[in-house]
Amino acid sequence: MSQVLQHSLPTGTRATRVIGATAILVMAWVVVSGLLLTPQDVVQGESVRIMYVHVPSAWIAYLAFIFTAVASASWLISKKHSMGFDRFAGASAEVGVMFMAITLVTGSLWGRLTWGEFWQWDPRLTTTAFLFVTYIGYLAVRRLEGSVEQRARRSAVVAMLAVLEIPLVHFSVVIWRSLHQGATVLNPSGDVKMDDLMLFTLFSGVVGFTLVFIWLVLHRQRTMLLVDIANNQGLDSAIVARRAEGSANK
Amino acid sequence: MDLTPRPSEPAKKPRKWLPIILLSLVGVGGVVIVTQFLRSAIDYYCNVDEIGIRSGCEEATRLRVQGTVEENSLQKIGGKTSFVMTFNNKSINVVYSGDPGGVFQECISVVAHGRMIDDTFESNRIEVKHSNEYAEKNADRIESSGSAACSQAQG
Repeated sequence: MSQVLQHSLPTGTRATRVIGATAILVMAWVVVSGLLLTPQDVVQGESVRIMYVHVPSAWIAYLAFIFTAVASASWLISKKHSMGFDRFAGASAEVGVMFMAITLVTGSLWGRLTWGEFWQWDPRLTTTAFLFVTYIGYLAVRRLEGSVEQRARRSAVVAMLAVLEIPLVHFSVVIWRSLHQGATVLNPSGDVKMDDLMLFTLFSGVVGFTLVFIWLVLHRQRTMLLVDIANNQGLDSAIVARRAEGSANK
Repeated sequence: MDLTPRPSEPAKKPRKWLPIILLSLVGVGGVVIVTQFLRSAIDYYCNVDEIGIRSGCEEATRLRVQGTVEENSLQKIGGKTSFVMTFNNKSINVVYSGDPGGVFQECISVVAHGRMIDDTFESNRIEVKHSNEYAEKNADRIESSGSAACSQAQG
């Protein structure tokens, strides 16, 4: 495996370098605007600044899990069963779980400052916890023993079922009585009640986190490709060694 | 070239237990969340006007009650906080054993945990329920009305 990694091209390309550099610039703006330029909220005060990380990370986690389901469906539907779809699905789920963890941690900190509690089993938090646990399960399924085709098939089925939880999580604050506030931007009335600079910084955060997500997924799926090549090369190396042994015994 | 199988048994790969253990833990965690927490989460609170009326909001049981802290009703005496909580033109007196702290204030929505005792809701936990509105803090407006939430409610 190390031989393959040593002789392979790096996982970065010109495109990923451009995406990475743009992500750094956008995130730098989000940090400056979120911490220094945006005002305090009339009720929450300084703790509103957590929103600039919490909300984008939640949206990107949803995006990542939807992308995982789409890539999984593509793998199942396509005649060739290209393993690229499976690697994209796996990479996106891993990054999505990371963003979901950030959502839970930042939400917990905000909850302590606003609600007075780090955690409450209200509809939004309960369904989010369930979504998080489901995708950890998805990652565990990907690591079960079997061929890459078995891995792809099992995980694709799990991904297509797990994605159905996202509408439940998002609309939990509408369907049930929740301690968590309703959506500000994606609310049914479309009337966004947020200070302009706060809203702009929030959208900048979404753009920045999206770029980080794309950058991480591209790199991760390439490292997954290298691991798959290394695993296949193990078999090829064994055949070559056996042939060499056979030739020597002639 | 001799490609006949070797006589010695190939070494067995050890079973990968970590994913199996993790998957088991995930299964247990999922079942616990659904059975222990999802049911109570769905009916997280009763509104003030539903006490004694709606199923699950019986006065004799421990309740989570949601309403808005009425303006000019907040008093802090002897380590206790009392206020009037209103929803849909129905009000109850709430006594909380302590200082809620944080962003608790008049005109803000709260969920109080406790019991109804002699027409007063005795609470030992208060959670502030933030709205989905975000506005710039304006020192002048707050000073004139006394509460940021009342200022926001008045527009």
